[in-house]
Amino acid sequence: MLLRHEGFRRLCRARDLLRERREPSPSIADLAREVQISPFHFIRQFEAVFGVTPHQFRIQTRLDAARHLLATGHYSVTDVCMDVGFSSLGSFSALFTKRIGEAPSAYRRRVRAMVQVPGVIPADLTPGCLTLMGRLPPSAFARPARNFREA
Amino acid sequence: MRIKLTSIMVDDQDKGLRFYTEVLGFTKKHDIPVGEYRWITVTSPEGPDDLELALEPNANPAGKAFQEAMFSQGIPIAAFEVADIAGEFARLTAEGVAFTRPPMRAGPVTLAIFADTCGNLIQLYQPA
Repeated sequence: MLLRHEGFRRLCRARDLLRERREPSPSIADLAREVQISPFHFIRQFEAVFGVTPHQFRIQTRLDAARHLLATGHYSVTDVCMDVGFSSLGSFSALFTKRIGEAPSAYRRRVRAMVQVPGVIPADLTPGCLTLMGRLPPSAFARPARNFREA
Repeated sequence: MRIKLTSIMVDDQDKGLRFYTEVLGFTKKHDIPVGEYRWITVTSPEGPDDLELALEPNANPAGKAFQEAMFSQGIPIAAFEVADIAGEFARLTAEGVAFTRPPMRAGPVTLAIFADTCGNLIQLYQPA
Protein backbone atom coordinates (compact mmCIF):
# COMPACT_ATOMS: atom_id res chain seq x y z
CA MET A 1 0.00 0.00 0.00
CA LEU A 2 1.23 3.45 -0.86
CA LEU A 3 0.22 6.40 1.28
CA ARG A 4 0.78 9.82 -0.13
CA HIS A 5 1.60 12.77 2.06
CA GLU A 6 -2.01 13.73 2.78
CA GLY A 7 -3.07 10.17 3.58
CA PHE A 8 -0.15 9.70 5.94
CA ARG A 9 -0.88 13.00 7.67
CA ARG A 10 -4.49 11.95 8.25
CA LEU A 11 -3.41 8.71 9.89
CA CYS A 12 -1.03 10.59 12.21
CA ARG A 13 -3.90 12.90 13.11
CA ALA A 14 -6.11 9.87 13.78
CA ARG A 15 -3.49 8.50 16.15
CA ASP A 16 -3.60 11.74 18.13
CA LEU A 17 -7.40 11.70 18.17
CA LEU A 18 -7.48 8.13 19.44
CA ARG A 19 -5.48 9.26 22.47
CA GLU A 20 -7.90 12.00 23.41
CA ARG A 21 -10.28 11.51 26.29
CA ARG A 22 -13.68 12.61 25.07
CA GLU A 23 -17.06 12.10 26.63
CA PRO A 24 -18.77 10.22 25.11
CA SER A 25 -15.97 8.34 23.47
CA PRO A 26 -16.30 8.68 19.65
CA SER A 27 -16.81 5.52 17.61
CA ILE A 28 -14.16 4.41 15.13
CA ALA A 29 -16.54 5.41 12.31
CA ASP A 30 -16.84 8.91 13.85
CA LEU A 31 -13.05 9.22 13.91
CA ALA A 32 -12.76 7.98 10.32
CA ARG A 33 -15.18 10.74 9.30
CA GLU A 34 -13.19 13.27 11.26
CA VAL A 35 -9.99 12.47 9.36
CA GLN A 36 -11.89 12.10 6.09
CA ILE A 37 -11.10 8.47 5.30
CA SER A 38 -13.82 5.85 4.69
CA PRO A 39 -14.16 3.54 7.72
CA PHE A 40 -13.02 0.54 5.65
CA HIS A 41 -9.85 2.22 4.43
CA PHE A 42 -9.26 3.84 7.79
CA ILE A 43 -9.04 0.53 9.63
CA ARG A 44 -7.01 -1.10 6.88
CA GLN A 45 -4.52 1.75 6.49
CA PHE A 46 -4.16 2.35 10.21
CA GLU A 47 -3.33 -1.30 10.79
CA ALA A 48 -0.78 -1.35 7.96
CA VAL A 49 1.00 1.68 9.40
CA PHE A 50 0.73 1.11 13.15
CA GLY A 51 0.45 -2.66 13.35
CA VAL A 52 -2.83 -2.62 15.28
CA THR A 53 -6.41 -1.59 14.46
CA PRO A 54 -7.64 1.82 15.68
CA HIS A 55 -9.74 0.05 18.32
CA GLN A 56 -6.77 -1.99 19.59
CA PHE A 57 -4.65 1.15 19.60
CA ARG A 58 -7.12 3.01 21.77
CA ILE A 59 -7.35 0.13 24.25
CA GLN A 60 -3.57 -0.08 24.40
CA THR A 61 -3.24 3.66 24.98
CA ARG A 62 -5.71 3.50 27.84
CA LEU A 63 -3.96 0.53 29.41
CA ASP A 64 -0.60 2.31 29.18
CA ALA A 65 -2.10 5.37 30.85
CA ALA A 66 -3.61 3.11 33.53
CA ARG A 67 -0.25 1.51 34.19
CA HIS A 68 1.33 4.89 34.62
CA LEU A 69 -1.35 6.11 37.01
CA LEU A 70 -1.26 2.92 39.05
CA ALA A 71 2.53 3.18 39.37
CA THR A 72 2.92 6.86 40.19
CA GLY A 73 -0.33 8.10 41.63
CA HIS A 74 -2.36 7.44 44.68
CA TYR A 75 -5.51 6.47 42.87
CA SER A 76 -7.76 3.49 43.41
CA VAL A 77 -8.19 0.95 40.63
CA THR A 78 -11.73 2.26 40.07
CA ASP A 79 -10.53 5.86 39.74
CA VAL A 80 -7.85 4.83 37.28
CA CYS A 81 -10.35 2.80 35.26
CA MET A 82 -12.71 5.79 34.90
CA ASP A 83 -9.93 8.30 34.41
CA VAL A 84 -8.36 6.57 31.41
CA GLY A 85 -11.74 6.15 29.71
CA PHE A 86 -13.19 2.75 30.54
CA SER A 87 -16.78 2.72 31.70
CA SER A 88 -16.81 -0.78 33.14
CA LEU A 89 -14.46 -1.92 35.88
CA GLY A 90 -15.00 -5.53 34.83
CA SER A 91 -13.86 -5.06 31.25
CA PHE A 92 -10.98 -2.83 32.38
CA SER A 93 -9.71 -5.48 34.80
CA ALA A 94 -10.12 -8.26 32.25
CA LEU A 95 -8.29 -6.36 29.50
CA PHE A 96 -5.57 -5.20 31.87
CA THR A 97 -4.98 -8.71 33.19
CA LYS A 98 -4.88 -10.18 29.70
CA ARG A 99 -2.47 -7.60 28.37
CA ILE A 100 -0.21 -6.95 31.38
CA GLY A 101 -0.30 -10.41 32.88
CA GLU A 102 -1.63 -9.51 36.31
CA ALA A 103 -4.71 -7.80 37.74
CA PRO A 104 -4.61 -3.98 38.18
CA SER A 105 -4.66 -4.27 41.97
CA ALA A 106 -1.76 -6.76 41.98
CA TYR A 107 0.18 -4.58 39.53
CA ARG A 108 -0.39 -1.51 41.67
CA ARG A 109 0.82 -3.29 44.82
CA ARG A 110 3.92 -4.71 43.17
CA VAL A 111 4.96 -1.59 41.27
CA ARG A 112 4.29 0.90 44.02
CA ALA A 113 6.71 -1.01 46.21
CA MET A 114 9.40 -0.24 43.61
CA VAL A 115 8.70 3.49 43.61
CA GLN A 116 11.05 5.17 46.05
CA VAL A 117 10.55 8.89 45.55
CA PRO A 118 6.93 9.91 45.07
CA GLY A 119 6.21 10.52 41.43
CA VAL A 120 9.41 8.99 40.12
CA ILE A 121 9.00 6.01 37.86
CA PRO A 122 11.56 3.26 38.50
CA ALA A 123 14.07 2.76 35.71
CA ASP A 124 12.91 -0.85 35.38
CA LEU A 125 9.63 0.37 33.93
CA THR A 126 11.13 2.83 31.47
CA PRO A 127 14.26 1.23 30.03
CA GLY A 128 14.21 2.60 26.48
CA CYS A 129 17.99 2.61 26.43
CA LEU A 130 20.87 0.23 26.18
CA THR A 131 21.14 -0.09 29.97
CA LEU A 132 19.15 -3.30 29.61
CA MET A 133 22.50 -4.80 28.62
CA GLY A 134 23.84 -4.52 32.16
CA ARG A 135 21.57 -7.29 33.33
CA LEU A 136 22.22 -9.77 30.56
CA PRO A 137 23.86 -13.13 31.27
CA PRO A 138 27.49 -13.43 30.09
CA SER A 139 26.37 -15.84 27.35
CA ALA A 140 24.88 -12.89 25.48
CA PHE A 141 28.41 -11.74 24.81
CA ALA A 142 29.89 -15.12 23.93
CA ARG A 143 32.46 -14.75 21.21
CA PRO A 144 32.86 -17.28 18.45
CA ALA A 145 35.99 -19.44 18.90
CA ARG A 146 39.00 -18.05 17.12
CA ASN A 147 40.63 -20.35 14.65
CA PHE A 148 44.18 -19.42 15.55
CA ARG A 149 43.61 -20.53 19.13
CA GLU A 150 42.51 -23.96 18.01
CA ALA A 151 45.55 -24.33 15.80
CA MET B 1 36.28 0.76 19.11
CA ARG B 2 33.79 -0.89 16.81
CA ILE B 3 30.18 -0.37 15.74
CA LYS B 4 28.65 -3.68 16.63
CA LEU B 5 25.28 -2.78 18.07
CA THR B 6 22.66 -0.25 17.23
CA SER B 7 19.04 -0.03 18.26
CA ILE B 8 15.60 0.96 17.21
CA MET B 9 12.68 1.71 19.51
CA VAL B 10 9.53 -0.34 19.10
CA ASP B 11 6.15 0.22 20.73
CA ASP B 12 5.63 -3.52 21.28
CA GLN B 13 8.53 -5.96 21.38
CA ASP B 14 6.48 -8.99 20.26
CA LYS B 15 5.12 -7.12 17.29
CA GLY B 16 8.58 -5.71 16.56
CA LEU B 17 10.25 -9.12 16.59
CA ARG B 18 7.54 -10.49 14.32
CA PHE B 19 7.85 -7.65 11.82
CA TYR B 20 11.64 -7.50 11.72
CA THR B 21 11.98 -11.29 11.28
CA GLU B 22 8.88 -12.49 9.42
CA VAL B 23 8.31 -9.47 7.20
CA LEU B 24 11.72 -7.85 6.75
CA GLY B 25 13.57 -11.18 6.91
CA PHE B 26 16.14 -10.52 9.65
CA THR B 27 17.25 -13.35 11.94
CA LYS B 28 16.65 -13.37 15.68
CA LYS B 29 19.94 -13.49 17.58
CA HIS B 30 18.94 -12.83 21.20
CA ASP B 31 15.64 -12.83 23.04
CA ILE B 32 16.41 -12.66 26.76
CA PRO B 33 13.94 -11.55 29.44
CA VAL B 34 15.17 -8.54 31.46
CA GLY B 35 12.67 -7.52 34.11
CA GLU B 36 9.48 -6.28 32.52
CA TYR B 37 11.01 -6.24 29.04
CA ARG B 38 13.29 -8.29 26.82
CA TRP B 39 16.69 -7.88 25.24
CA ILE B 40 15.96 -8.67 21.63
CA THR B 41 18.48 -8.36 18.81
CA VAL B 42 18.33 -9.33 15.16
CA THR B 43 21.01 -9.68 12.50
CA SER B 44 20.82 -9.63 8.73
CA PRO B 45 21.24 -12.96 6.92
CA GLU B 46 23.07 -10.92 4.28
CA GLY B 47 25.67 -10.01 6.89
CA PRO B 48 27.72 -8.86 8.61
CA ASP B 49 26.49 -11.47 11.08
CA ASP B 50 28.06 -9.90 14.16
CA LEU B 51 26.34 -6.56 13.68
CA GLU B 52 23.20 -6.56 15.83
CA LEU B 53 20.12 -4.39 15.84
CA ALA B 54 18.40 -4.24 19.25
CA LEU B 55 14.61 -3.84 19.34
CA GLU B 56 14.23 -1.64 22.40
CA PRO B 57 11.00 -0.94 24.24
CA ASN B 58 9.89 2.68 23.89
CA ALA B 59 8.37 2.69 27.38
CA ASN B 60 10.31 5.80 28.37
CA PRO B 61 7.99 8.76 27.67
CA ALA B 62 10.93 10.83 26.41
CA GLY B 63 11.80 8.15 23.86
CA LYS B 64 8.20 7.84 22.82
CA ALA B 65 7.86 11.61 22.29
CA PHE B 66 10.97 11.65 20.10
CA GLN B 67 9.82 8.64 18.12
CA GLU B 68 6.36 10.07 17.49
CA ALA B 69 7.62 13.49 16.50
CA MET B 70 10.04 12.03 13.95
CA PHE B 71 7.29 9.78 12.61
CA SER B 72 4.71 12.56 12.24
CA GLN B 73 7.27 14.65 10.39
CA GLY B 74 7.81 11.77 7.97
CA ILE B 75 11.46 11.33 8.95
CA PRO B 76 12.94 7.82 8.85
CA ILE B 77 14.78 6.69 11.97
CA ALA B 78 17.07 4.20 10.23
CA ALA B 79 18.13 3.20 6.74
CA PHE B 80 18.82 -0.28 5.40
CA GLU B 81 20.71 -0.96 2.20
CA VAL B 82 19.19 -3.26 -0.39
CA ALA B 83 20.51 -4.63 -3.67
CA ASP B 84 17.18 -4.48 -5.51
CA ILE B 85 14.89 -1.76 -4.24
CA ALA B 86 12.16 -2.34 -6.82
CA GLY B 87 12.07 -6.02 -5.87
CA GLU B 88 11.90 -5.22 -2.14
CA PHE B 89 9.17 -2.65 -2.73
CA ALA B 90 7.08 -5.25 -4.58
CA ARG B 91 7.76 -7.97 -2.01
CA LEU B 92 7.00 -5.80 1.04
CA THR B 93 3.91 -4.26 -0.54
CA ALA B 94 2.59 -7.78 -1.15
CA GLU B 95 3.21 -8.48 2.56
CA GLY B 96 0.93 -5.56 3.42
CA VAL B 97 3.64 -3.04 4.32
CA ALA B 98 2.65 0.62 3.93
CA PHE B 99 5.10 2.85 2.06
CA THR B 100 5.05 6.63 2.38
CA ARG B 101 7.44 7.00 -0.53
CA PRO B 102 7.82 4.61 -3.47
CA PRO B 103 11.31 3.99 -4.85
CA MET B 104 12.66 7.19 -6.38
CA ARG B 105 16.02 8.47 -7.48
CA ALA B 106 17.72 10.92 -5.12
CA GLY B 107 21.19 11.82 -6.33
CA PRO B 108 23.49 8.81 -6.09
CA VAL B 109 20.86 6.48 -4.58
CA THR B 110 17.32 5.25 -5.10
CA LEU B 111 15.32 5.35 -1.91
CA ALA B 112 11.93 4.40 -0.50
CA ILE B 113 10.30 4.82 2.92
CA PHE B 114 7.94 2.48 4.77
CA ALA B 115 6.26 2.21 8.20
CA ASP B 116 7.60 -0.61 10.39
CA THR B 117 4.25 -1.04 12.29
CA CYS B 118 6.11 -0.27 15.55
CA GLY B 119 6.08 3.52 15.37
CA ASN B 120 9.00 4.14 12.99
CA LEU B 121 9.58 5.06 9.39
CA ILE B 122 12.45 3.17 7.79
CA GLN B 123 14.31 4.13 4.66
CA LEU B 124 15.53 1.61 2.12
CA TYR B 125 18.22 2.67 -0.29
CA GLN B 126 19.96 1.15 -3.23
CA PRO B 127 23.30 2.61 -4.20
CA ALA B 128 23.54 3.38 -7.90
